[in-house]
Amino acid sequence: MSNTTTTMSEKNIQQVSAKQKVVKAIVLIGLYAFLGIMALIVLFPFYWMIISSLKTLDEYRMSVPTFWPQKIMFSNYAEAFTAASLGRLFVNTLYVGVVSTLLSLVITVLSAFAFARLEFKGRDTMFGLLLATMMIPGELFTITNYETVTKLGWMNTFTVLIVPFLVSVFYIYLLKQNFMQIPNELYLAAKVDGTSDIKYLWKVMIPLALPTLISITILKMMGAWNSYIWPRLVANDEAHRMITNGLRNAFTATSGDVNYPVQMAAVAIVSAPLFLVFIFLRKYIMAGVSRSGIKG
Amino acid sequence: MKVVLQNLTKVFPSRNKKSNEEVVAVSDFNFEIPDGKLIGLLGPSGCGKSTTLYMISGLQKPTSGKIFFGDDDVTELSTENRGIGLVFQNYALYPHMTVKQNILFPLQNLKGADRPSKEEMLERAYHAAKLVQIDELMDRKPSELSGGQQQRVAIARALVKMPRVLLLDEPLSNLDARLRLQTREEIRRIQKETGITTVFVTHDQEEAMSISDIIVVMKLGVVQQIGAPQEVYDSPQNLFVAKFLGTPPINVFNGSVKGGKVYIGEDAVLEVTNVPDQEVMIGIRPEGFNLDAEGPLKCKLANVEVMGRDVSIVSTHEASANPDIRSIINADNKVDTSSEIVRYSIKPHKLFLFNKETEERIYFEVK
Amino acid sequence: MVDNKQQWKAWLYLSPAIVLLLVFTLWPIINTVRMAFLENYKSLEAAGGATFEFGIGNFLKVIQYKRFLTCLKNTVLLCVLTVPLSTILALLIAVALNSIKPLQRFLQTIFFLPYVTNSIAIGMVFAAMFNIVGAFYGTEQEIIVTAGIINNVIQFFGGEPINWINYGSTYAANITVMTIYIVWNALPFKILVLLGGLQSINKQYYDAAKVDGTSRKRIFTRITVPLLSPMIAYVVITGFIGGFKEYTSIVGIFGEKMGPADDAYRLNTMVGFIYDALSQNNQGRASAAALILFGIILVVTMINGWVSKKRVHF
Repeated sequence: MSNTTTTMSEKNIQQVSAKQKVVKAIVLIGLYAFLGIMALIVLFPFYWMIISSLKTLDEYRMSVPTFWPQKIMFSNYAEAFTAASLGRLFVNTLYVGVVSTLLSLVITVLSAFAFARLEFKGRDTMFGLLLATMMIPGELFTITNYETVTKLGWMNTFTVLIVPFLVSVFYIYLLKQNFMQIPNELYLAAKVDGTSDIKYLWKVMIPLALPTLISITILKMMGAWNSYIWPRLVANDEAHRMITNGLRNAFTATSGDVNYPVQMAAVAIVSAPLFLVFIFLRKYIMAGVSRSGIKG
Repeated sequence: MKVVLQNLTKVFPSRNKKSNEEVVAVSDFNFEIPDGKLIGLLGPSGCGKSTTLYMISGLQKPTSGKIFFGDDDVTELSTENRGIGLVFQNYALYPHMTVKQNILFPLQNLKGADRPSKEEMLERAYHAAKLVQIDELMDRKPSELSGGQQQRVAIARALVKMPRVLLLDEPLSNLDARLRLQTREEIRRIQKETGITTVFVTHDQEEAMSISDIIVVMKLGVVQQIGAPQEVYDSPQNLFVAKFLGTPPINVFNGSVKGGKVYIGEDAVLEVTNVPDQEVMIGIRPEGFNLDAEGPLKCKLANVEVMGRDVSIVSTHEASANPDIRSIINADNKVDTSSEIVRYSIKPHKLFLFNKETEERIYFEVK
Repeated sequence: MVDNKQQWKAWLYLSPAIVLLLVFTLWPIINTVRMAFLENYKSLEAAGGATFEFGIGNFLKVIQYKRFLTCLKNTVLLCVLTVPLSTILALLIAVALNSIKPLQRFLQTIFFLPYVTNSIAIGMVFAAMFNIVGAFYGTEQEIIVTAGIINNVIQFFGGEPINWINYGSTYAANITVMTIYIVWNALPFKILVLLGGLQSINKQYYDAAKVDGTSRKRIFTRITVPLLSPMIAYVVITGFIGGFKEYTSIVGIFGEKMGPADDAYRLNTMVGFIYDALSQNNQGRASAAALILFGIILVVTMINGWVSKKRVHF
């Protein structure tokens, strides 16, 4: 093989590198412009929700829309809060969320520990079966579960909102994988020292798997916050209603001549806790979500 | 194509935002790589050898200094216009393409008048594959190849576009010991056959010494010595180079020069002229010892290892900078293993003196 | 050798999960299949002592049911529209994000925001944005009292306002709004996964391509997309599974009547059909529909797996 590349003159080289710089700059500007526009589109509904929620109804109805409220109406929020009795809904949802998260964590940790660290007959078969159930759409369970909870007399209780969803195969899987990364020698060493399983779990495994546990907690809480279908079926009474159902029930009309500022205020109130959680715990949410593919 | 590096310097901004310390990866590198030679850039990790290679490739821009290919200043030229071939440490073969597709890939990137016809591309790909002896494997995927075969594919891919300069980043580090020996001969052969100026980076001195025309020893971004391998081995310019080259490594002693005599501890091992009295570091190559019942250097015998042709004697001396001293002598010499003491005389051209502070070589003449 | 003590300890730790899974997962699977294959099964009648014959009548009824076909059509249409659109858009955004340095994390956070929302709540915001109330009841006296911002923008550029979701709106307009909302909602997860995939591609492949003078377009089509193909496959399959279960986003925009005021249930989906059957206490029909949904998801997953094997590398 010989050198076939022609030698370039000084001028040529300068031209080539100058041209490259220009192309690079144009590409970079294009990238930022594209991302900027997309970001604005993504953000716009949030912006519109907030400014609409602060407008008077008259201002909202103006045929030429304003992009900043002329008169800021915080009273919309108070009105929304009472109109949809959001207070009650908040308490209900929070109660269901906290209780189901705590119980779910205990069950998940124990199961994941058993699958990751203990040896028992049929372990792999059983884990495989569990994973297989993840394929099945939840709607298939709902039909029978509806019947079951009716028979159990759980209709319109908090129990019905908590118990059927305590076990998540996905969370067990996630935590098991995490536990398996902890070297088995640590467990054996603890056994040699006479540490009990529970103490070992509490002192070693849980601290090491904390990020995953936090991810699970957040996703579970978000799940309670966003649940809609099941609560509507089984606990749609005043005393047990969840926030999403309450919001939907209070504002049945989505189009037409609606008092949008108050409605948007209610939507903003319901969305706020999610955003707060996101702002402070973004890392955990994104880590959990990227492995799941399921919404909240 | 000769490659000229002129005052080449690369400074990385500190990774830690708070401290403003910069890392000088390469400092003021000057060298003219002659056309058609195989150059080994050698040094421990972090010495700047890879950074130098990447600056020649154009993937990294120098902070200051210039790079010339022939008479062209290519410092500002981007990688793709430099006409180089680069073999990455872990080969960077595209896992989703077959060997043939991998080798063809650089050719398919060419545009306009430079773009060969389809037949010509295939012909060149097969030519390159034959050169590295992988023409039987053209339809395999990289994951179906052994490490050595992947290495060859990577070289073929770099050669197929007929680069002006071929760059290899730690080409042998991912191969097992047997393949490493074989492949380094292969690289030597390919370089000879193509005559392309080739620069490769390695931390393995044996590898560099065995195939390079010229080696460049670097430490902490600064070039220590440049020369033919044997020349550098026989005449290291400082203690670092002396220690870095050679297996087993050179034996280092704390010593002194007094009245024209070189002392290791109490033992005057050599008489020299034109060296003023001072504390020195003394380096003696393992092959620089002669078993000599009357020899001036008295060591405690620790162990004798017979290795067929040679005998390796492990001994200790209070002035030794290392825990033990290793000498290699011809197996014809009988060692009295029952004795607790072994005495040596020293071959003068295998002994080097270094300044205690600067560790620079002190040249002397034997009296 | 399996330690006996470990045996019973393991079962003890697993017992809460096992009990709950038996009751709320395993039994439902068996029971749903059972109910689906009993002609006209209704729990209320079963509780009253009625018996049902074995047969595939539920399935036949479901697939002959016109409303089911509407649901199936809506579901498939939304899947076919939203999955490719959101995947391509997410891929472009992820690649763009991956090639910038300043503001990367900030923009990444913004693009993730729609994920942490309540589909019902934000659906109401979209409904407000696409709303129009004007003279479409036909009388001259009516004035525009509320207009959605989208129509305001269309009018600003001189276009005719479109009736997106209100009384008298067209099916095409409804589907357009749903597509926009679902894509908006689906982007964050896809961007997150694809960006993660991009960032785990060994940078040396790009260096190697650069050395060889590969053009941007060629790097994208010949290196980035093939190396990202496992992630793209993952995003597409989860997108299809999610798409076949579409329901709440439609409730968010159109309310529980699943359509504009004059044509309720026009936009109903498979999941909606199942719940409707359930709330009418027709468990047999609901079960059959659920099994059909499961079958479709299974087939789509298998097709995807088969295509992936051929097209996805490694």
